Amino acid sequence: MRRHRKFARRARVTAAAAALVSTSACTVPRFTFPRPRTRQAEAILSLWQGAFIAAAVIGALVVGLILWCVVRYRAKGPQALLPKQTEYVIPLEIVYTAVPVLIIAVLFGFTYAAQRAVERRAPAPLLVEVKGSQWQWQFHYPAANISVIGGPSTAGRDSAPTLVLPVGKPVRIALTSADVIHSFWVPDFLFKKDNIPGRTNEFDLTVTEAGDYIGRCAEFCGLEHDRMTFRVHAVPAADFDGALAAAGGVK
Amino acid sequence: MTATATVPAAPAAPSHQPLRGLTGLITTTDHKVIGKAYCLTGFGYFMLSGLFALLIRAQLAGPGVKLLSREQYDQLFTMHGSIMMYLFATPFAFGLANFVVPLQIGAPDMSFPRLNALSFWLFFFGGLVMISGFLTPDGAADFGWFSYAPLSTEIYAPHVGVDLWIVGIILTGLGTTLGAINLVTTIFTLRAPGMTMFRMPIFTWNMLVVSVLTLLAFPVLTVAMLMLLVDRHLGGFVFSPANNGPILWEHLFWFFGHPEVYIVALPFFGVVSDILPVFSKKPVFGYKGLVFATFAIAAYSLTVWAHHMYTTGVVVLPYFAGLSFVIAVPTGVKFFNWIGTMWGGSLTFPPPMLFSIGFLLTFLGGGLTGVMLAAAPIDFHLAKSYFLVAHFHYTMFGSIVFGAFAAIYYWWPKMTGRMLGERLGKAHFWVTFIGFHTTFFVQHILGIRGMPRRVASYAPTDGFTFLNRVSTVGSFLLGISTVIFLVNVALTARRPADAANDPWEYGQTLEWVTTSPPPRQNFTALPRIRSNRPAWDVNYPDNPGLGHTPRRASRAP
Repeated sequence: MRRHRKFARRARVTAAAAALVSTSACTVPRFTFPRPRTRQAEAILSLWQGAFIAAAVIGALVVGLILWCVVRYRAKGPQALLPKQTEYVIPLEIVYTAVPVLIIAVLFGFTYAAQRAVERRAPAPLLVEVKGSQWQWQFHYPAANISVIGGPSTAGRDSAPTLVLPVGKPVRIALTSADVIHSFWVPDFLFKKDNIPGRTNEFDLTVTEAGDYIGRCAEFCGLEHDRMTFRVHAVPAADFDGALAAAGGVK
Repeated sequence: MTATATVPAAPAAPSHQPLRGLTGLITTTDHKVIGKAYCLTGFGYFMLSGLFALLIRAQLAGPGVKLLSREQYDQLFTMHGSIMMYLFATPFAFGLANFVVPLQIGAPDMSFPRLNALSFWLFFFGGLVMISGFLTPDGAADFGWFSYAPLSTEIYAPHVGVDLWIVGIILTGLGTTLGAINLVTTIFTLRAPGMTMFRMPIFTWNMLVVSVLTLLAFPVLTVAMLMLLVDRHLGGFVFSPANNGPILWEHLFWFFGHPEVYIVALPFFGVVSDILPVFSKKPVFGYKGLVFATFAIAAYSLTVWAHHMYTTGVVVLPYFAGLSFVIAVPTGVKFFNWIGTMWGGSLTFPPPMLFSIGFLLTFLGGGLTGVMLAAAPIDFHLAKSYFLVAHFHYTMFGSIVFGAFAAIYYWWPKMTGRMLGERLGKAHFWVTFIGFHTTFFVQHILGIRGMPRRVASYAPTDGFTFLNRVSTVGSFLLGISTVIFLVNVALTARRPADAANDPWEYGQTLEWVTTSPPPRQNFTALPRIRSNRPAWDVNYPDNPGLGHTPRRASRAP
């Protein structure tokens, strides 16, 4: 009877642990980051979560040590004796040099892996050419030969142009600029890249969640920089052609 | 405090009356007067630029373009950054060095006193040229302090305020470069007998490293600015998009720009490294490790410029991410040195010590977010956002402003012969500390939620309003903290100038054995320099640190 109960308890613990591991990606808090809406953003979020936890632990340790000194070694009244005049503790110095080297080596490994995941090129993506100019965006879909053009607008309203994207299908964004440097940023995608005059910058993304998101220019580009916003309209792949036609584009 | 003078200093200078009043100020070559003039002018620019920051924060207190037009806003944030970096941080650090370094190494003046005066006047008039853009019809420069091409070329920024800004930076940059040459020469050639390199105070060490870094970084900026002038007026196409000019500008600017943040931060690392031992009554912990960490930071700072360019898509990400992470190691070593200095000590907390601890806690935050931003994938989201603005201010305000106030309270008696008030000093610290973190902590969250930097307004629907309002309240606390400081200075001016040679009683470096303020030639006599803390050896001969005892003590007279 007792043994039976022990087994049951052990089984429950194992199941709970398994559940914890399988859902850990969802249970780790995002530490104020937006929920990722692209496959690439998931890799960025995981890196952020790891970096945040590491930084929080190290930060708490160092703040703790500083405050400990402030509280513990506060001078209490006039003292006859001076504290011990310690100058060097070589083993300690070696440790506090070597441990950070290990920490950044681990961080570098995770960073490199995340970067590879973000920059991986998809086969046969849908190409969208995104041109920035003072102070508006133009989205050109070569396959459908449709261009969506907008004007300056605050917070992706009114005259802001719409970038229509299909959910679940890889998209290649090709960034160019007609005048000065702009930067294409969709905060919900956790990603930005620069539109630089004289060159084309490309990156791939796969949207994982239908919805409407705000896009912004992140590089200061002159007077109405703050009004250089756009809408992102992510729709199921089946609805893509209709949504693109409805986005007010011109052939 | 009796200074046991055993080594006579250089014979007294020929006795002619120094000129007084304004003429005296303009013609002086005294490093102490020039140093104070640097600090005073730099602090004036700090207050002007702080005022710009308050206007910027007032604009962002709510959505919409209300207080300032977009034209005014763009000029103000550009000039805020430019003045803080070029006319406050750099000159203030060099001003402190001007005053302190000759005293710390037992020199009567800088190596080239007239060149020193020239450096100051280049800075003084260069600064006036830079801000005179506000007097021109189309206003001052308005494209951000790193002036990315082609936004800064004649096509997109044709007004003369931009040319004044460029010429101002060239002039002050020349002054800084000459000042660096002067400091390097002074430190290498004018050290007193017994002041070996590894007995120099950490502040002097850091200024030596900073000066070398200046000689490597500032000429790049000066030349880039000259080429920008050529593009603007002589039809050059150096920064034209046709030949990848925008990327060339970013490389040149950040090859200067990244070392620059260490050029302005390392002096204050030095300030704190000098202050913590005095108020812990201990030697600095791991002196040589601290010096080597400074070398490492300076060397690596020259290799990581392109981490400002991750989103351009033209840089090798793992190389720059890896090296940027590496800088965290020597910086971490410094933190453990500072903690080790306090550990086991007997700590008191007058204003210099409070500001030093404020520096530690604040700069730590900037360092941790810096490692996050060095990871390219995280930077893809956070670059150019308010998270970056927060990170930048945690590092720059954390080191420069907390460090500058620590230095002001610490060396004020040496500069003026008067002590700044302690109660007001403590109030000043707490308002600064609370004001700073209220202003900038929330900006991390704003950036993560998608607020780009350098926006003149945002929309009510963006959801940025509440945190921006918190930030604005914090910035006005910072404004109040500066008023407290000015009141403290005004009250101090009425006190008698009776500060002791070493008013802090546990001074360790050489400036604390001479009078406050020091005589024209700095020392009437020099003590025997047998360790990296000659002033301590004079006052506490029975308590030398380990390894301080001279190897052949019997030869001492």
